[in-house]
Amino acid sequence: MERSGPFSGQDPLMTGNIPDGGLRIKIVGVGGAGTNAVDRIKLEDLEQVHLAAIDTDSQTLASSPVEECLLIGREVTLGKSTGGSAEKGRLAADGSRDRIRQLFEGIDLVFLLAGLGGGTGSGAGPAVADLAVKSGALVIAFTPLPFKREGNTRMERAKTALEALQKTCHAVITLPNDVVFKQVDPSATVMEAFAHADKWIKLGVHSIWSMLFSTGLMNVDFSTLQAALSEPGGKTLFGTGYGKGESLVHAALEDLDRCPLLHLPESAFLKDTDQLIVNISGGPDLTMAMVDQVMDAISEKFNCRNSLVMGASINGSFYNQLRVTVMGTVRRVPSSKQFAPVPAASIAPNAPKPLPPTAGPVQTCLLDDSPQAAVQREGGQQDEFSFPNPESDRGFFDKSRRNLHEGIDLDIPTFVRRGIKIQRR
Amino acid sequence: MSWTSIIGAVEIGTSKVVVLVAEVSEVGSMNIIGRGQSTNIGMRKGSILDIESVSNCTHAAIMNAEKSAGRQIERVFLSMTGDHLWGFRNSGVTAINTHGNIVTEADIERAVENAKSKDLEPGEVYIQHIRIGFRLDGQLCDNPLGREGSQLEVAYFHVVGDEQILKEHISIINGFGLEVNDIVISSIASGSLLATDEEKRQGVLVVDIGKGTTDFVLYRGRRAVYTGVIPVGGDHITNDLALGLRTKQKLAEGLKKRAAKAMVTKDDREQLVSLIGDLTIGDSVFPLLSVNKITHARLEELFIILKNRLGSELSRQNLPAGVILTGGVSLTPLITELAEQILDVPVARGESPDWVRHEELRGPEYATVLGLLYNALHDAHRKPVQGKARRGWFGKMQEIFG
Repeated sequence: MERSGPFSGQDPLMTGNIPDGGLRIKIVGVGGAGTNAVDRIKLEDLEQVHLAAIDTDSQTLASSPVEECLLIGREVTLGKSTGGSAEKGRLAADGSRDRIRQLFEGIDLVFLLAGLGGGTGSGAGPAVADLAVKSGALVIAFTPLPFKREGNTRMERAKTALEALQKTCHAVITLPNDVVFKQVDPSATVMEAFAHADKWIKLGVHSIWSMLFSTGLMNVDFSTLQAALSEPGGKTLFGTGYGKGESLVHAALEDLDRCPLLHLPESAFLKDTDQLIVNISGGPDLTMAMVDQVMDAISEKFNCRNSLVMGASINGSFYNQLRVTVMGTVRRVPSSKQFAPVPAASIAPNAPKPLPPTAGPVQTCLLDDSPQAAVQREGGQQDEFSFPNPESDRGFFDKSRRNLHEGIDLDIPTFVRRGIKIQRR
Repeated sequence: MSWTSIIGAVEIGTSKVVVLVAEVSEVGSMNIIGRGQSTNIGMRKGSILDIESVSNCTHAAIMNAEKSAGRQIERVFLSMTGDHLWGFRNSGVTAINTHGNIVTEADIERAVENAKSKDLEPGEVYIQHIRIGFRLDGQLCDNPLGREGSQLEVAYFHVVGDEQILKEHISIINGFGLEVNDIVISSIASGSLLATDEEKRQGVLVVDIGKGTTDFVLYRGRRAVYTGVIPVGGDHITNDLALGLRTKQKLAEGLKKRAAKAMVTKDDREQLVSLIGDLTIGDSVFPLLSVNKITHARLEELFIILKNRLGSELSRQNLPAGVILTGGVSLTPLITELAEQILDVPVARGESPDWVRHEELRGPEYATVLGLLYNALHDAHRKPVQGKARRGWFGKMQEIFG
């Protein structure tokens, strides 16, 4: 009760040049890749959205058409880039805290675009996110991850930064470059390929934006989004799919499956308390049967019949077309640190067999995956290598209510959650 | 002729139901004349799972206690725990504008009513109002009655619980044909007994780690200022051991009592400990290290949760008298060392005050019921001082059932 919550601290007097009333959204690009993405979004005019770019490189900023450009870390890098040092990126952000904070004054929703793996994105990104969260905004990060080919150091850096972002941001949506570029025609130019990656980010931002702004039959508003993402630290689930023509529902759902932003949590089951927002936008010809069909398919796919929040909006020019967007946070996903993976079949109710944590963070395996594999992940592969059902570790407390403390069931033995190895003989 | 009344203190705990019967005389002295207890199996983590079994256990314990006292209980004081309890601070303010700005009883009452008037969520009910203190024109004062000022503020810590659960507990006592006179939350009951006035003035935290729950109360300036319940207790250690060592709950419980320590020591690595202890068939041995690792992990986590709950209150400056541990789990060897390491304040096991002469009653399992009696005695004594008799539990009950 006394907790002020993540959305406090907004000072109504500090709105600056932002028009009063309504939602204030800012898209902030951090680092080279982030700035590029913002530049591209600039071309599309979204109402009530402000753009900003933060970088350590004065050159990229100078060529950016974005209205608010913030050069950070002049004293660290002298206006040149960080040269891939995340430490430098972090120092740069630390040195410019006040100016970064000013960027977020009076903003309700921040889209943070930061390419991970480089210096500024990985180093300054989490620091910027932290400042944005502290200023009271809901922060959704879109983070392209580096190619595998770019080497292990870059990958490691991206992983560390991603973990930091996941701790602070309300939602982190990853976009592994490897997955994106598999979808690109081999004959495409480099420019086209990167435009394709930015397209996905743009699509992600745009679909959330239109979810909030297009007046719907069933409106998903900002508060709903806030509620669904209210606690930072969870794994974010996000995906969008588009379909048109004869079997548009089917096409949209298939497209959703192929969405490289869709990143299923490692445990296939969602809990009742996790909210999943499903937004359907279609033309005036959208039928109730279509809505039903989509909701059925989604609730089956994500296994969360009780926790769906549904929105539907009609767009006059969207005849015979359909876009489905899903978004939510999976909070109680046991991380690999807390639950050692054990083959499900070997778990007898009273005899869990905790093994030391083996598999690394999930992101790594995603990077090798083709989009097709990503689609299958929640199917076959998950079953073979699923996590133990937490219920089976409760022993004596099986019949009692779950004992939740900050998202952790305290009835599950501490040593199991911490992965402490216990010798029996 | 002086009157005496027979009061019963009832603690429906996760491990057992304990009942003490005491004879209270008009002058404020008390004799404990009876005791009864029974093992409780219908509860988990301080919540009732099987009301019929809990009810039978409680009735058996009350019956035994009355039998050993040779008298019938007239009034019952009941303790309450469980994770449904929570508390918040609320203060009431009133302006003094009569009688030349002299604070009257009516003013105090008005401020108190203000403080207590916060509406609760449906299904919740106030269990206890703990007065933290008065402030007259911004100045702290003990008793504002008759003093001069223009604004009186009274701060309370309110403990709130689930109405349904409360009803269940009361109906168990009513089922024996007794009325519940007052309900005191467990942490305050044991806290008021174990912490001395001096410690309460300086600031002390009393932590009662029972079988199902951990109840804590923070005292400062002689008043309880914060209480809480963490639904983790000795049962969790037992369950962890049973799961970790793959043995039965019952055997794990015995092993815990016999061998478990709160910290891992150097010698544990070589030592083995047998499950049953008498080398019967089916007995097996485990490394002591495993037992202690499991116990340590659980207790360490518990203290970390406690530390997080209290935040900056838990520091050497704010808590000069440190932490007093009680409850069954507080008997675990090395637990004070572990607590000190994590909480970074002095930690000691609680000891009953000297007036508890009976050796058996000095154990930590009696701290709550003795505290209930102590509170009951204090209450009876305090009433005339407060002027108007405060609305007792009976009034509150009418609120619930009415």
